[in-house]
Amino acid sequence: MLLAFSIGLVAFYLYLSTSRDFQTKIDNEIIQESIRLSQVHKRYKEVGLIREIQYLSKTPNPNLYILRDSNNKFIAGNFSDTDSLWNLTRLEEGGVLFSFEKKNNNGETVRKYYFRGKEFIVRNKYNLIVARDVSYENYLKERFFNTILSTSLLIIFLGLLGGYVLSRNFLNRISAINKTSLEIMDGDLSMRLPTSSNNDELNQLSLNLNNMLDRLNKLMIGMKDVSDNIAHDLRTPLNKIRTNLEVTLMSNPDSESYRETIKEVIDDVDSVINTFNSLLAISRVESGSVSLKKEKINIKNLIEDIVDLWEPLAEEKGVILNNECDIDIFLEGNKNLLSQAISNLIDNAIKYGGVENIVNVGSRDNADSILIWVSDTGPGIQDKDKEKVLDRFTRLDTSRNTSGTGLGLSLVASMIKFHKGTIELLDAKPKGLIVKLQIPSR
Amino acid sequence: MHILLIEDDINAASYVIKGLKESGHVVDHASNGEEGEQLALTLKFDVIVVDRMLPKLDGLSLINKIRKEDIDTPILILSALGEVDEKVLGLKAGADDYLAKPFSFSELLARIEVLNRRTNPEIKETSLKVGSLSMNLLTRQVHRQGIEIDLQPREFRLLEFLMKRSNQVVTRTMLLEGVWEYHFDPQTNVIDVHISRLRSKIDKPFDGKEMLFTERGAGYALRSDD
Repeated sequence: MLLAFSIGLVAFYLYLSTSRDFQTKIDNEIIQESIRLSQVHKRYKEVGLIREIQYLSKTPNPNLYILRDSNNKFIAGNFSDTDSLWNLTRLEEGGVLFSFEKKNNNGETVRKYYFRGKEFIVRNKYNLIVARDVSYENYLKERFFNTILSTSLLIIFLGLLGGYVLSRNFLNRISAINKTSLEIMDGDLSMRLPTSSNNDELNQLSLNLNNMLDRLNKLMIGMKDVSDNIAHDLRTPLNKIRTNLEVTLMSNPDSESYRETIKEVIDDVDSVINTFNSLLAISRVESGSVSLKKEKINIKNLIEDIVDLWEPLAEEKGVILNNECDIDIFLEGNKNLLSQAISNLIDNAIKYGGVENIVNVGSRDNADSILIWVSDTGPGIQDKDKEKVLDRFTRLDTSRNTSGTGLGLSLVASMIKFHKGTIELLDAKPKGLIVKLQIPSR
Repeated sequence: MHILLIEDDINAASYVIKGLKESGHVVDHASNGEEGEQLALTLKFDVIVVDRMLPKLDGLSLINKIRKEDIDTPILILSALGEVDEKVLGLKAGADDYLAKPFSFSELLARIEVLNRRTNPEIKETSLKVGSLSMNLLTRQVHRQGIEIDLQPREFRLLEFLMKRSNQVVTRTMLLEGVWEYHFDPQTNVIDVHISRLRSKIDKPFDGKEMLFTERGAGYALRSDD
């Protein structure tokens, strides 16, 4: 709209300035010609002037000459029909503007002529008009004016129409987004905002919001799974405790079997507390709500200490536990979290590695990241389960009968995530599982 | 032992009081910080157990005030804030030990008893002796009944920790924290194996009297064979 208006304004200014230049040019030429004619008059008197005009009228000339006497009687000139057709306008600056219409036999206007010129009074006897046919110029002017006008109008119209269509389209899309948002708010988290193929900001917004919703939905499902699992995993030991207590109460026990039952219950409750502690540990590490401090750690020493902690147990279980890290590797991290992560992995490797198991723990400095691995020569994990075991409470069928909360690897994952690292479960060669922790070294 | 328990949770406090009394201790209880401060400043206690989050005066400020009055009674903090950094904060404030909630009563009891008999840290000992077992901290030699026992460095530290707390129950967590400096609990009982290894060196060759005991559900204790 503003654009159309400014275009019109510029065009109008252009029109005004060109038409004024044009008029000035004509006026100047007319003045030149009349100066020449007045000199002719001075030198040759009226006779000379009349003769000059008669001469000019006969030769091809862009100018119009009309010489009349005081009674408006035509004396000389190239245009004689003065009475009937003149439609004379006297301009303020002494100029004249007149027009006449050329009509055909039926009286219809064929062409309209325009003249612009000056009127002189010669010796109070004669009236001389010198003018120029400006029909064509006027025609051009009219055309120019009309074109500008119609173009401006068209632009304004198109602008308004385009604006309307655009805003209409824009508003439609916004209201579609609003509508979907409301539906999502009402609880349908599977709804997604409408997107289109064009890559404008609104579409970007929709895409980003959709990605956000995907992520939220995934988290929601994760949360739901976790709470389902909590309910399930805690119901089992609680049920066991209840039955144990109930049966003890029903029988007629001596104090020794009371003690026995109480000890069993304490163990069961401990496992429930362990589950809660692990869950809390995971969420604390994940939310980063605790100000976990980072310090410079020598991974070599860290691994040595953990291997030292686990070595007797491994030996007792007939597992060979090797420390493959023999050089100093430094890392900015939280010692307690990293120790616990590696400890959990060794625990798993020993627990699930089966017989004749060899567990290797090592580390390597890969310039931009530190790699820490724990491998075993056990049965490994099938590819389809590798993602799953990182989730909370995942316990593969093969491990149902061993003790554990099903939170060990999730805890490791959250601790590695805290260090902005990645955890990868791969097949070891020739068999077994290798867990690779990759932690960026700044 | 005369113990001051400052804990605002009446339920939790009543169990702890009951347990401590069962174990033969005398307990005074304060249910807010100001009351606790009053008691700590007026009576003489062997150990003070303080919850960190208390009404009126929080645990850390309370400890600060007590320490400013030159009362050096061993203090143990109980807190739901169990992270290592929180523990460090508590110890810096002047506490001697820190136990995260939820805790088992045997853990609390073991720690209170160790705190009570804690050797003065300012006296640097050069040798330890429990019954027929002796340890030279300078030459790092261990003898029982005059026979030298060869120990790995970690076994040495483990035995040193136990000998310094002889005739007391030491829990797994205390060992993990004190010997390995780990503030997490590897659920699988790795400590058990370390203890049985140590036992095979200090007990087995000396048939007759056992010194290193496993206290079921609580921990371990090194007892004199006298």
